[in-house]
Amino acid sequence: MTALFVENVLSPLYATETRVESPHDPATLNPASTRPAASAEAALVEACRRGRMDAFERLYQLHGPKMKSVALHLMGNTHDAEDAVQEAFLKVYRGIGSFKGDSAFSTWVHRILVNACYDMRRRGLRRVDTVAPQEDSDDEPINRAPAPAANQPLRLALEKCVAQLSEAQRVVFLLYEVEGFSHAEIGEMLNISEGASKNRLFEAKRELRRLLTAQRGAAGKGKP
Amino acid sequence: MNVTCRDLESILERQEPAELAALKAHAAVCAACREQLALEREISATALQMQRTWESPELWPRIRERLAAEPRPAAPRWNLWSYFSSFSFNWQVAAATAALAVMAVSSYWLMFNTETEGTPTPPKVSRGAEPQPAPPNPARVVVDPQQRLLTEEALKEVERTEADYIKSIDRLSVLAQQKLQQSDSSLMANYREKLLVLDSAIAECRAQLEQNSFNAHLRRELLAIYQMKQATLTDVLQEAP
Repeated sequence: MTALFVENVLSPLYATETRVESPHDPATLNPASTRPAASAEAALVEACRRGRMDAFERLYQLHGPKMKSVALHLMGNTHDAEDAVQEAFLKVYRGIGSFKGDSAFSTWVHRILVNACYDMRRRGLRRVDTVAPQEDSDDEPINRAPAPAANQPLRLALEKCVAQLSEAQRVVFLLYEVEGFSHAEIGEMLNISEGASKNRLFEAKRELRRLLTAQRGAAGKGKP
Repeated sequence: MNVTCRDLESILERQEPAELAALKAHAAVCAACREQLALEREISATALQMQRTWESPELWPRIRERLAAEPRPAAPRWNLWSYFSSFSFNWQVAAATAALAVMAVSSYWLMFNTETEGTPTPPKVSRGAEPQPAPPNPARVVVDPQQRLLTEEALKEVERTEADYIKSIDRLSVLAQQKLQQSDSSLMANYREKLLVLDSAIAECRAQLEQNSFNAHLRRELLAIYQMKQATLTDVLQEAP
């Protein structure tokens, strides 16, 4: 009886936890990814090195949406996020000659984006100082990734809790759980070890569990 | 493996499959741990909904405008120092030592074995012996007109081989075109895109070579691009229809 319960009820619990990672190929995490084959990416890098505008447009088409999402989480609003993406593209254009191919091109581009976001925040160029959960009443309509069973109250509660995490924990949580990067990629982006990325994710999720449990407890007490 | 409620956090931190399986078995009989595991799963599932997309049709034109105003990125150059720096420190020391040793041996050998043309070293004369003719010096390079002719011939042969190589790639390209045009798969689309980029790079390289046909670096670069194109065309032809 217990074995049956474990098989049927608890087995799905780890469906998302045991994510199979291919450290240098994020495309394997998301089968619908638009990341081109490695050879095409090498050609794209070469064309970017030659300063070809169509190559940069292709780069924008491939990585722009994800870059905007990452930037939004780091900057807090769509305007600053777009500014950060623009700044990142400028830095990629200027620094493409220094790309040695030690990491995937997309990882390198996202690393530049993350640094651009931090730079803008440090220079006080962002419009808000706190990263509050995005309400749907922003200037532009924001779509969320389709989910088979969207749980709106839980999402809002989670966004509020994520905003309470420390910066280090929050960034790793967002890059891993929301954007689907591997720990190896996050390590390269944030200049930390893979182990440190795993550790921060664990701490973030433990804190989120604590906050959500407390919220649920408070809500339960408030009920008549 | 015996798991208790106190092991929950450490097992979640380590993420070892065997421990996780034991924790799942424990959660089947422990409501508190079951709730924590369920929450862990809910967090991961709900996090996916936090990914954001929005339309920003003006963003790319804005970026393009800024990029167009920038000076063209510097062409990557093969830098001996950066190549050397990419090795570990031990290898750098070993390479530097080897280079020094080679230089020292060469200098020593040159110092004691070379003779300048027109000032031959007088042969050593031992007491009571006839003077011996000096042995031929391998370091002395005398340019023979016939040798020069042979070098020019070799260079011409290299150029002929290069032209034949390019012709054979063009023939390969014709063969692959049919396959490239017929298929709508994303793989073939990638190949088409890559070949376009390579052709454009070849055209650009050739245009630069027309301005400076003696630039050996450009010639090497052109050959490398052709080799890349050959590999891509071979891949296309080897793909299943």
